[in-house]
Amino acid sequence: MKRECRLRRGRSHKPLTLIPDTLLPTGPCAGISSAPSASSKRETLLSHTDQVAQRRARCSDIYQRRLSSRSEKVNPGIHSSSHQQQDGEAAMHGAHMDSSVRYTPYAISPYNRKGSFRKQDQTHVNMEREQKPPERRMEGNMPDGTLGSWFKITVPFGIKYNEKWLLNLIRNECSVPFIPVEFHYENMHASFFVENASIAYALKNVSGKIWDEDNEKISIFVNPAGIPHFAQKELKSEKVEKIKLAMNQQCDVSQEALDIQRLPFYPDMMTRDTKMASNPGKCMAASLHVHEENIPMVMSAVGMDKWKGTEPGEKCADRSPVCTTFSDNSSNINSILELFPKLLCLDGQQSPRPTLCGTEAHKTLPTCKGSFFGSEMLKNLVLQFLQQYYLIYDSGDRQGLLSAYHDEACFSLSIPFNPEDSAPSSLCKYFKDSRNIKILKDPYLKGELLRHTKRDIVDSLSALPKTQHDLSSFLVDMWCQTEWMLCFSVNGVFKEVEGQSQGSVLAFTRTFIATPGSSSSLCIVNDKLFVWDTSHQGTQSALFTLVPTAFSSVPAFSQEQQKMVQVFSVQSGMNYQLSQK
Amino acid sequence: MRKCRSHWSQGDRERHQRRSHYYEGPHTSHSSCGGRTREEVVTPPLPEHAAAGSPMAMSVDFKTYVDQACRAAEEFVNIYYETMDKRRRALTRLYLDKATLIWNGNVVSGLDALNNFFDTLPSSEFQVNMLDCQPVHEQATQSQTTVLVVTSGTVKFDGNKQHYFNQNFLLTAQSTPNNTVWKIASDCFRFQDWSSS
Repeated sequence: MKRECRLRRGRSHKPLTLIPDTLLPTGPCAGISSAPSASSKRETLLSHTDQVAQRRARCSDIYQRRLSSRSEKVNPGIHSSSHQQQDGEAAMHGAHMDSSVRYTPYAISPYNRKGSFRKQDQTHVNMEREQKPPERRMEGNMPDGTLGSWFKITVPFGIKYNEKWLLNLIRNECSVPFIPVEFHYENMHASFFVENASIAYALKNVSGKIWDEDNEKISIFVNPAGIPHFAQKELKSEKVEKIKLAMNQQCDVSQEALDIQRLPFYPDMMTRDTKMASNPGKCMAASLHVHEENIPMVMSAVGMDKWKGTEPGEKCADRSPVCTTFSDNSSNINSILELFPKLLCLDGQQSPRPTLCGTEAHKTLPTCKGSFFGSEMLKNLVLQFLQQYYLIYDSGDRQGLLSAYHDEACFSLSIPFNPEDSAPSSLCKYFKDSRNIKILKDPYLKGELLRHTKRDIVDSLSALPKTQHDLSSFLVDMWCQTEWMLCFSVNGVFKEVEGQSQGSVLAFTRTFIATPGSSSSLCIVNDKLFVWDTSHQGTQSALFTLVPTAFSSVPAFSQEQQKMVQVFSVQSGMNYQLSQK
Repeated sequence: MRKCRSHWSQGDRERHQRRSHYYEGPHTSHSSCGGRTREEVVTPPLPEHAAAGSPMAMSVDFKTYVDQACRAAEEFVNIYYETMDKRRRALTRLYLDKATLIWNGNVVSGLDALNNFFDTLPSSEFQVNMLDCQPVHEQATQSQTTVLVVTSGTVKFDGNKQHYFNQNFLLTAQSTPNNTVWKIASDCFRFQDWSSS
């Protein structure tokens, strides 16, 4: 898919998601390549923008004719929703636009209308647009305020910015006053609606004229939003009052008068938030979850370097999306929720729910995070253990590991069994030791392949190919700890350093169960190694470089250091107090 | 995979599944075919411990523990992933009260949190391709019989792309004279490509 390819390009500079881990050692993250100069990226962005703008200008001709008393030319700018909608629009532009023909630039083609609610709320909104007669769409502001032309204003990667700060910044630069409606964060962007084409145009002109605190230009994208469903229904006045009260008490929106009838209350935000109020990480996860289809190539390429140093975990505290402001007042939520079934019903049909924070139908996965250690002390213990273990493991002589294992320890290893794939040659050397009881039924082999006693274990480890582990790729999950044991899994990559597949990179997960050993060391009682080849998954690069991992600040060991440790450990039976220099 | 239940006839199994109560505690007395739900991992009773200290006894023990671990692991994996896919609400019955799950770095601790977590996870389709297990040494568990189970395969969560995953479990045994019930004490789950998801 085109989109995925583009994202991979983007990914070569930075991953799309951040892995927060406040326990990580500070310091530069190993392996993060510097992004190309931001200005050259912006140039690319502008030229692309111009091309798209031209194409859109052609489409927007009809659009303009429908607007009453507009002197400025409206230039909607880049569509920030899914690529597929761009395709749909592109298909339209060649056609002759007659004013008698229904103009639906963002109509969902039957292909798009699978009802995937991961795509922007535009999908939902557009379905309603088609139900309205053409002359009622895209009108200017009506005196009774029930219909207007809505525009969605998006600040790419705006999730970094505080709402008030951002809106003030935009206001200072914008030539006209505006009321931002339903400011929210969606994936990594910040969005709000305005109900006026000239305001939208004025906001579009602000793009690139404002800077954030890192001196990066802030872009603004503007898209017609159709008529949001909230603008179509009348709310009962007493309920309107309740909402107004709630808004005034809790919601930090513009000081200008809000027309309550237009407020887009998305019920899903409320219900979702009552679950998530106590777990801001999850709420943020929902809004941060990156669906590849929703990130336009243009934005991802520009925005990668903006992510340095930010942590999603912090954001939720700073930036409160509109949805979280109602979490405290359950009676208000209840009265609001009463309205929603009606709001959501169009002509007696159940309409799909908007997707601002995810829907019931499509729950989002929690954000994937980096290493988890139970405590700083345990973290140091485990990291130190792993440094020493792999120093010896990679040294060429694994006999030094004898003192790391309990007398009656167990070890086994596995490689994946994928009926579709043929095992790549780099994994073949592990094949004969691979224990997979899902397919292995021979009881003798089942027993044999589980190595028992440290002597057997170290002998079988010594027979495995020589390796060079990349400590900077390590990610550790400490998933069980008691007074008597520590259980943790290490994920990472290593290189084969000899033989036919020299240089090939394999990934591994190794689970250790260890008990306290002598002199604040660990004694392994269970060791389970799982090795796989990432090349067929295309995840190799992701594992390699870009993610802050357990050993981010650990320098590579020099040859001399390695030799020294090897000699030392053989003589002393494994001294765990290796100095870091 | 079903060998530990081979002594039950099909009719017996169905009768027991229809019972309204189900065996949960370690010391409840029931008949040898005591009612159990589908969401329980049960194996035959654990052997008596041989006299400690003699190498022969220890090696016999070890093989027995290995066999037992394999049986528990196989039974467990079948039940766990089927329950996860098809009867998600019952999944936490397989966990101890104080069990912990680390899911792609997210920590979920205790049954309430686990219930909530599995409730918010989209529906899933798991395919397990690899399974391995080891008996955990008693020094680490203070003689609470424990098995390390490691699985790998693919999973498709509704609304998301398919991922390869690795998962580790620590299963602990709650023994009775009649059988052994295994529950998850700790669980660690990761996508293989977690950093790109």
